[in-house]
Amino acid sequence: MSAGSTRTGLSLLSPAFLVMAATLLAPVVALVVMSFWSQSGFDIDRSFTLKNYARLVEPGEGVVWYGIRFPFAYPVPAVLMIKSLAMSFVATICVIGLAWPMAYFLAFRVIRNKAMWIILLTIPFWTSYLLRVFSWKIVLGFNGAINSGLMWLGMIKEPLEFLLYNPVAVMITLAHSWIAFAVLPIYVSLEKIDRSLLEAASDLGDSRWTRFRRVTLPLSMPGTIAATLLVFIPTVGDYVTPTLVGGPGGMMIGSLVQQLFLRQDNAPLGAAVSIVMMLIIAALVGLFLWLIGYARMRKRIG
Amino acid sequence: MQRVKFIDRMAQGKLTRREMLQSAGAFGVGLAALPRKAKAAGGPLTCLEWGGYDEEGYIGSYVAKHGALPDFSIFSGEEEALAKVRAGFAADVMHPCNYSVSRFVNAGLAKEIDTARLSNWADVFPSLQTAEGVVLDGKVVMAPADWGNSSIAYRSDLIDPAFAADPSWSIFYDEAYSGKVSMLDNELVIQIGAMVGGMPYGEAYNLSGDALAAAAKDWGTKGVNVSRFLWTDASEVQQAMASGEIVAAYAWNDLVKNLKAEGIPVEYAVPKEGMFTWFCGLTLLNSGKADEALAYDFIDAWLSPETGKYLIEASGYGHANRKSFEIADPAEVAAMGISDPDALMASAVLFLTPTDEVQVEQNRVWGDIKALKM
Repeated sequence: MSAGSTRTGLSLLSPAFLVMAATLLAPVVALVVMSFWSQSGFDIDRSFTLKNYARLVEPGEGVVWYGIRFPFAYPVPAVLMIKSLAMSFVATICVIGLAWPMAYFLAFRVIRNKAMWIILLTIPFWTSYLLRVFSWKIVLGFNGAINSGLMWLGMIKEPLEFLLYNPVAVMITLAHSWIAFAVLPIYVSLEKIDRSLLEAASDLGDSRWTRFRRVTLPLSMPGTIAATLLVFIPTVGDYVTPTLVGGPGGMMIGSLVQQLFLRQDNAPLGAAVSIVMMLIIAALVGLFLWLIGYARMRKRIG
Repeated sequence: MQRVKFIDRMAQGKLTRREMLQSAGAFGVGLAALPRKAKAAGGPLTCLEWGGYDEEGYIGSYVAKHGALPDFSIFSGEEEALAKVRAGFAADVMHPCNYSVSRFVNAGLAKEIDTARLSNWADVFPSLQTAEGVVLDGKVVMAPADWGNSSIAYRSDLIDPAFAADPSWSIFYDEAYSGKVSMLDNELVIQIGAMVGGMPYGEAYNLSGDALAAAAKDWGTKGVNVSRFLWTDASEVQQAMASGEIVAAYAWNDLVKNLKAEGIPVEYAVPKEGMFTWFCGLTLLNSGKADEALAYDFIDAWLSPETGKYLIEASGYGHANRKSFEIADPAEVAAMGISDPDALMASAVLFLTPTDEVQVEQNRVWGDIKALKM
């Protein structure tokens, strides 16, 4: 790259970088700093300490949670971390499973009015996130859409109570809220696929299935992976959804951070929990990309 | 310090802790920690209020004088409101209760109220004017406004008649009612559980250490598991009760009154372990940005007999102003049963204030118990 284009590139990047620095970097630095302080009564003791981090791993009596032992003196963050990861994982699988066929249909089957289809897809985004979460509360509620529908059909006599206020309700809501975020990147990478490659595969004797498996699927991977990360990373720390539809049983790690900051009045510990959460997610994402050989794939696809 | 130099020195590890803190503070890290500067008056009035109290009926004279409602921020528990103010939320007035006001005072957030600036102060029940919580260390820190009960509201048509015959808080810890009841999202779940286990409230409110951990494990866990959801929003629990999703809930007087008005068969129990009572009021906070006169107008509006009349008729709560009971609908006053706060406090268990250390510990233990629900 020539010096000129590097400069152009940097100057193009800088507005975004400045915004990121102000709205992301600075708060993260603040969190890191705060996580090395400690709370004592109403005051924050601003001398450096590793106490908050030590608290998260301090061994102790612990609890058994769904058959898994958490041998910590303060097992709550560990339990909620594992639970949040598991819940987000399931939600992400559901999202990708539902979004992929949609994106495929959009890329290969829709010929006319593509723009209209894409606009249709984004319609859920015209309402606020909060409203969409809340509407799930109405759908899944005691006398909500599902229960009253089933009762009207005579399939159940009493409303089903297991629909709301549990981890399943949280996963359903998360999956729905994030699905449109997943369709678009997958659609873009499917759309980009050179159709002549598919023709070539057919000409050379591939069946429809082999062609899909060997050409379409691998070429859609960048978008699929982007979608996976786009859904997985934010949902792990989500706090609005568990609060509204989860009940105590559906609590996630984000709820704990909120509680530590705003109810238990222990902001430094809350900061430490969020930093650790961030590191764990980063490590998992790194591991995921390494496992699927992302670098290799990028080189191949270019 | 110049930016580049600052980054260089930070990279070389040459920054003193003080400089680091200063710059961190500039980015807002120190918000919760740094001493507050005196703020210039002049902003809009911001009130931390319980859900449902954020309407004109409760502050008619304020709205008449200033033409608009103040800015409200709704909280569901005092500890949440306290944390919010401590994290930098600039509120002028807060609505704590007899058992929670000392938290704001101890945190250094409350200002003494000059009762001479409240035109309705003279009509406040004398016993409330000097009650513990209204006055702390000889200073008036809360202008008493509303008083009432906390007890169990139940659907008389849906509940087991055995409960109606002998109501007990044990319903919130009874597997048989799993998914059918709703407790308040509050550490009271542990305290009331201990009371069901035979401990008097005088000990239960102050549980700490191993005793608290044991009570949390026994009663807290049960309470969390049995409740369909732990409510934070009075309208949420009201709807759930109206639909029959839950048959009993921890509730204040207004829930019973509202549901009865809708024609739903609901009763307010007097549990054998005791019914609770409380009085709440308005506290001036020093975090506010508005002119103090606005805050005094707001508080004075709350103390007015017209507000009292509305409170009695619309919510079924008692009011701190004696005159309210003279102008309110006599039928409504009669329906309340008790129209004197002294008699009410004597008839039930008044909520007490634990020390700050115990309160913080209970907040933490309660948070942990909830988080570990499977």
